[in-house]
Parts: sequence; structure tokens; C-alpha cells
Amino acid sequence: MSENYKTVVVRRDVLAEARVDAAVERARQTERGTLVVNLVSSPGAGKTSLLQATARHWSNRYSLAVLVGDLETDRDAQRLAPWMPAAQLTTGGACHLELPLVRRGLEALGDPIVDFLFIENVGNLVCPASHDLGEHLRVVMLAVTEGDDKPAKYPKMFRTSQCLVISKLDLLPHVPFSISAAEEDARRIQPELQFLALCSLNGDGIAEWCAFLESQRQRLLTPQLFHESA
Amino acid sequence: MHEMSLVRALFRQADRVIAEHAASKITAVRVAVGPLAGVEPDLFASAFAVFTAQNFPHEIELVVDQVGLTADCPRCQQVVELVDFIFRCPRCGSAEVRVVGGDALELVSVTLTQNNLVGEAVT
Repeated sequence: MSENYKTVVVRRDVLAEARVDAAVERARQTERGTLVVNLVSSPGAGKTSLLQATARHWSNRYSLAVLVGDLETDRDAQRLAPWMPAAQLTTGGACHLELPLVRRGLEALGDPIVDFLFIENVGNLVCPASHDLGEHLRVVMLAVTEGDDKPAKYPKMFRTSQCLVISKLDLLPHVPFSISAAEEDARRIQPELQFLALCSLNGDGIAEWCAFLESQRQRLLTPQLFHESA
Repeated sequence: MHEMSLVRALFRQADRVIAEHAASKITAVRVAVGPLAGVEPDLFASAFAVFTAQNFPHEIELVVDQVGLTADCPRCQQVVELVDFIFRCPRCGSAEVRVVGGDALELVSVTLTQNNLVGEAVT
């Protein structure tokens, strides 16, 4: 008996289903009034420090929670636990977070209804770019010590983000980093990118960052004014 | 290196195609990868080889089409190719372009086989 072959055309994004799941999760959080922020960067750009500085600045004005992704250890969750409910998502070697792991983290925290849910992604400027976690806002951080060429080298991450936070601003005088060069490259890739520059250690720019988050949440909570295709 | 998780996602889609067509097995998979897909074609091929060796008793051919980054320009009313990640229409300079291709890993087609399968090649 001969075998018959048939080629079926699919033409579908492999992650299309994951994207639908993420949209459902996003809608669920919108309904609850939670702004979900996916914080991405290379390792050591200062994601955890920024979240500490954010909680310090707000000083209990809002309810917060955080899910922290790392390959190993729960050190970041320990650093953040004094400031907000924190669950560590240990990926065991995986380079990025996906929604099922995020859901497990939410369960571990009792699926809290908060004003801001932060997801501190695994430090990596490549893989997390492809995975929608149901966030409303993707914020990419770039420390001045990393070099201003990162937007050009990792276009997808900057293309899929809505905000670029340049961190460790206090070190700027000591390193050859041009904020305008980084911004120019990033804007070429994502014209709608918002820019912020700050230093979590001395607090410079933290008030502006917190105001930005507040305005984004406000926007979220008045959806009828902004019902784009999202 | 998230290519393995993309291979898994790909086979979840492919399995559905098998079920829909009441086929018995996949013999080939064709994907399209663009510059903004976040996929390294060689790493993807390695992950594909590992995954199929672990999960299938037979070989599955992989074809990777490398495609350009394309966008729809409302002003020119046509699809244009973007180069060097400059998100402006290369014809008219408009920044209102909407990316329509090359920013995802796309499952293009699946080749199936089954004894007594009546259909012929669709492509």
C-alpha cells in the first residue's frame, strides 16, 4: 500500500495561542483594576532596585505585588518581600517567563487584587521579547554601564516595549554612554517609546517614574477613552 | 535560547492539523522566520532536531524560509520591505507603517501522510 502525502497550509504565528491566553489574562487584570508591568532588561540593570525604590517612594499609597523570575535562587524575592508580596518564579535554566509560570506565581500569592502587579522577568534582552505575559506595559531597562548600543543590537526587545528606563544615572559621568544616542536608536525602532532616566540608589527620577506608572494605570481604568485595538 | 519552547508551541499547532485532517503522521514542517521573529534559525533547527528525535519514531523534515521584515504603508497603499529596522516607509518616509511580516515565527505548512489518504497537495 503506498503512502499519500498532503501539505496543509497553516500560515499562523506559532505563538498565536499564547497571545490569546495573554489577552484573556490582561482583560482579567484590567477588570480588577490591576496594572501589570513586565520589567525586562539584561541581568544587573537594576530591576529589583527599581522596584524597591518604587515601593519606598509610594510608601503604602498603592497595593503592590511582584513575581520575580530567575534561573535559580529566591534572592530577589527575599529582597522585595519587605516591600510587597513577592513570589519567586524559578525557571530552572529557562531564559524567559511564560504565562503558565506567571499564573503559578499568582496562585502562590493567592491571586491578590492589587493596584500594580510587577513581573520582574529573567535578565535577558532576547527571549523575553517574544513572550506576552498578559502585561499592560512592557518596560525595558538599560543601565548606562551597559553601553548605548543595546537598542540597535536587540531591536525586538525595544520594539515590543512601551517605555525605556535608563538606569544607574549616577554613573553616567564615569562611562562613555550617550543618552541621546541610545534614545535615537530606540526611537528609530519604536517611535512611540517613552523615555525615563533615573537612579534607584539616590532617588533621581523615581518620582517621574512613579508618576508615569500612575498615569498608565489611570489610563487603564478609563478604558472607554482609550479603546484601541488592544 | 527559547527555541525549544517555540518548537513545543509549533507541535501543539501541528498536532491540531493532524487531528483536523485525520492523518497519521507529520513528515515535514515548513516555517518562516523574519528578522524580528526573535528566533535564531540554526538554534531553532537544533532544537527541532532534538525535540523530534525525542518525541517521534520517524524523521520530520524541517524547512526554514528566511523572510524579510515587511510593513503595510497606508500612504503608499502597498506592502513595503523595511531594512535595518528603520520603521519608516522606504518610499514615502511615512512612520505610520504597520508591520505585517517578519516579526513572528510562522508555521507555514505541515506535510502529512496517511495510508489511503485521498487528498492531493494543497500548495
